[in-house]
This record gives sequence, C-alpha cells and structure tokens, in this order.
Amino acid sequence: MSKLVISAVSRTFPGGRRHAPTVALEPTTLTVADSDFISILGPSGCGKSTLLRIVAGLDAPTSGRVLLDGAPVSAPGADRGMVFQSYTLFPWLTVRENICFGLREKNIPQARQDEIAARYIERVGLRGFENHYPKMLSGGMQQRTAIARALANEPKILLLDEPFGALDNQTRGLMQELLLGIWEAENKTVLFVTHDIEEAIFVAGRVAVMTARPGRIKCEMTVDLPHPRHYTIKTAPAFSALKARLTEEIRVEALRASMAAG
Amino acid sequence: MRAMTPLKPISGARKAFYGVAFFVLFVAAWDVATFSGFVSPIFLADPLTMLREGYALFAKYGFAKDVALTIWRVLGGFVLAAAVAVPLGIAMGAYKPIEAFFEPFVSFARYLPASAFIPLLILWAGIGELQKLLVIFIGSFFQIVLMVAVTVGGTRRDLVEAAYTLGADARGVVRRVLLPNSAPAIAETLRLVLGWAWTYVIVAELIGASSGIGHMITDSQALLNTGQIIFGIIVIGMIGLVSDFAFKWANQRLFPWSLV
Repeated sequence: MSKLVISAVSRTFPGGRRHAPTVALEPTTLTVADSDFISILGPSGCGKSTLLRIVAGLDAPTSGRVLLDGAPVSAPGADRGMVFQSYTLFPWLTVRENICFGLREKNIPQARQDEIAARYIERVGLRGFENHYPKMLSGGMQQRTAIARALANEPKILLLDEPFGALDNQTRGLMQELLLGIWEAENKTVLFVTHDIEEAIFVAGRVAVMTARPGRIKCEMTVDLPHPRHYTIKTAPAFSALKARLTEEIRVEALRASMAAG
Repeated sequence: MRAMTPLKPISGARKAFYGVAFFVLFVAAWDVATFSGFVSPIFLADPLTMLREGYALFAKYGFAKDVALTIWRVLGGFVLAAAVAVPLGIAMGAYKPIEAFFEPFVSFARYLPASAFIPLLILWAGIGELQKLLVIFIGSFFQIVLMVAVTVGGTRRDLVEAAYTLGADARGVVRRVLLPNSAPAIAETLRLVLGWAWTYVIVAELIGASSGIGHMITDSQALLNTGQIIFGIIVIGMIGLVSDFAFKWANQRLFPWSLV
C-alpha cells in the first residue's frame, strides 16, 4: 500500500511588480510505499527542498495534493518528522530536552519521555551527552540529535532535507551509515533530499532524479544493493554503474541550470 | 610601544590593569587641575573636598533617604513599564496584526522625549511620586515595547518550523520557542533601558521635587557646592554600575545556554 502519494504537486512563487513569478516546481508525482527509503536527487535550486517542505506542510502547493495514509496534508504535524540542513536544535534545551520536545507536546508522562529519549540517545550514539547544550556539540552530533528528536516522535514518515550538507566528508560518511543502520533496524519510511549522488545511492532503495529548475521528477532508479550495506559497497561495481548513470542524468541538468543562469 | 593587532584578545590581568589605570589617570588629572589652583573651587571641587562633602551629606543631611527614594522611583517606574511593555512587545513580535496595529504609534511615541512631558505631568499628577513614576514609565515603556517586539519577531524561522514539525501548535510555538529563544535578549533590553531610566529620574527630580539625588544636586548648585554635585553624580554612577553587574550576573545564571 502507498504510504505517501505526491500527486501533480507544483509550486509557483508569486512575482513582485518588477519580476515574473518563479516556477520552482512543475507538477510532480511520486508514490512512496511503506518502509521505502527514497532519495530525491537534484542540482541546487531544482525545487527538491520545496517539494519536501510541501510534504512537511511548511509550504502549500500551488496545485496538486499530498496524501499521507490517504489523508490530505495541509499543515505541519507530528506524523511527518523533519530534519533540516541548518542546525535547528533549540539552543536553550539540552540534548535530552530537545529529543523530548515533541513528546512533551503530546503530554506524555516525564518518566516515559526519559525512557524514549534514552533509547534514541543510545541509538544515535550520544550517551554521555544528554545534558549538553547544542552549542557544546559538533555539527555531526547536532544532526544526530536532530534525527533522534524526529524519530522519538514516531512519525509515519521521516523527511530529511540535506541533513548532512554542512558536515565534512568523513562525518558525512559516518552519518550516512548511522542513518542506514537505523532504517535497517526500524524500517521507517524515509524521504531523503540530497545533491550528493553517492549519498543518494548508498542510503536509498530508490533514487528519484529531479530536473533543473523548474523541477520535476525526471526518472526513478531502483538501487538493487543488498542490506545490510557496509560502506565498502561504495566501491562495488554495481554501485559504480549506478553512480555513472546518475552522474550522467544529473550532469545534463546541472548544465541546463548553468546555461539558464548564464 | 608594540603595535596593537585588531580584535586580538588580551589577558584578564592586563584588562583589569588598563581599566583601573584609566580611573587612576582620571583622578590624577582632577588632582592636578584642582590642587594646583588652576581651576577655581567655585567651578570644580578637589577630590578630597568632594569626599568630605559626601560624608557630610550622609552624616548630616540624611542623603541616604534621598538615594533610597531615587532608587525606589527608578525601580517603581521601570517595573511598571516592563510589566506592561514586555507582554505587549511579545504579542507584537509574535502576531503580525497586533504589530501592525501598535507599531506605528509606538515608533512615533518612542521619539517623544520623556523630559518634555514633565511640565504636563506636573499639571496632571502634581509634584508627588506619581509624577516621577510616570516620567520613568513614559521614558521606558515605548523603548521596551519596540525592542522586545523586534527580538521576538527575529526568532529564527527554522526553529519555529522545526517546532511545527514536532507537533507544536501556535500556542506551543509562542510558549516553547519564541519565549525561551527571546528571553536572554529581553533581559538585555531591560538592562539597557534601566540605564536610561536613571537619566530620566534625575531630570524629573531636577524639576519640582523636594527629595532625591536630583533634588540634592539642584540644591547644591544654588549653594555653589560643586563637591556635593560631583559626589551625587558619582553615587548615581556607582548605583548604575551595581545594577548593571547584578543584571549581568542574573542573566548568566538564568540563561547559561546563551553564553556557552
């Protein structure tokens, strides 16, 4: 059964007096099944984040609609957990309090909150940092907390908007493994936006490639690599073949984007 | 002397040394100017006379009562202003229609000098305590409202969005994101405005008052007692310094996360 249906969703940002409206997203359709891990891959500014924000309910589509478990999405809610590219931990709350934010909003008893938080702190490897404030953490640790915070709410779907975009390469690799490990253990439905081809393949079961602005989904590719995946898979021939194909698809779009900009 | 490097920090000991050095040089210059007879005592008392006069103020003229009254007026007017201005500022920062309603008037009122209201306030409220409190209130209220509104309105949008995706509703966002996020900056605003409130109270006491530090200063002017005037000014400075430290200390205790 389809968990999430994005049906002919488009987004046009209205123009001002001096400039024309911007079409960020052309009618886009994507169907996500339960426990799918889908990467949305596209060049910068192709509207992939806009698409994710519409699914999250943070932005409204100009046309089309989004259905989650058959119900239309109109506003943000706890059933769609989101991890942002920017660090969005609440600076006045400790790691544990950040993870409990959504639980408190649901009026879950404190003891139960602490239990859940402890589980996810363990899961993302932050034991010993429960009482640290975000400023005392590295970027990677902040994003791990953000993932734990989103998961603790037990959302129906996890939305990730280039969550590792601001991290250095090594940390990024480790975070991909962490995320993949969580998915392999919990089988969450995940929508993962990225512009990094290798990352898109490594974590996902399916990669949706977007065109340059105005964006739409150009093609979808199934990643037929076995689980559990080890980071060494990135050098396997099957991985390289996929990467070569996606690189070609993205290159065409990146070129188009740069021509349009020039 | 070695060239200074822009923005390069200095050690704590040297920082303290430089800070104290200024006061030493300042008093030294004052000494030279007065004890040498270069400046007439009618215009500027020497430091020793100033201290002697200060002692006499407390010992003979009950200056402590004036100081207490002035502090009470500042705090009274300031607390009243803050009690109304902070909630209004938060409401304006959080809700754009409320901001649209109040903002133009508050922006206009902010530029009305509190001291210019004194004659009017004397007419309305006499020369009693209420008039003093109102001067402080008018001087502080609009400043606090605007600065709090800007602080709350400037909350990072991505934090608000994160709260929404975690299931917070509009009230939850105000209570659990806008408020805690703005709290340190609001406290900082209050610290700043309290400093301004001190300048208003003295002006209020210069005109139509029979007590307070400002009143003592006017009296001393009539008697050409520059020692007392300077002592009064220094007392105000000291109180300001103490309240500033108290505010900073409290902020550090209350909001450790904003300074880490």
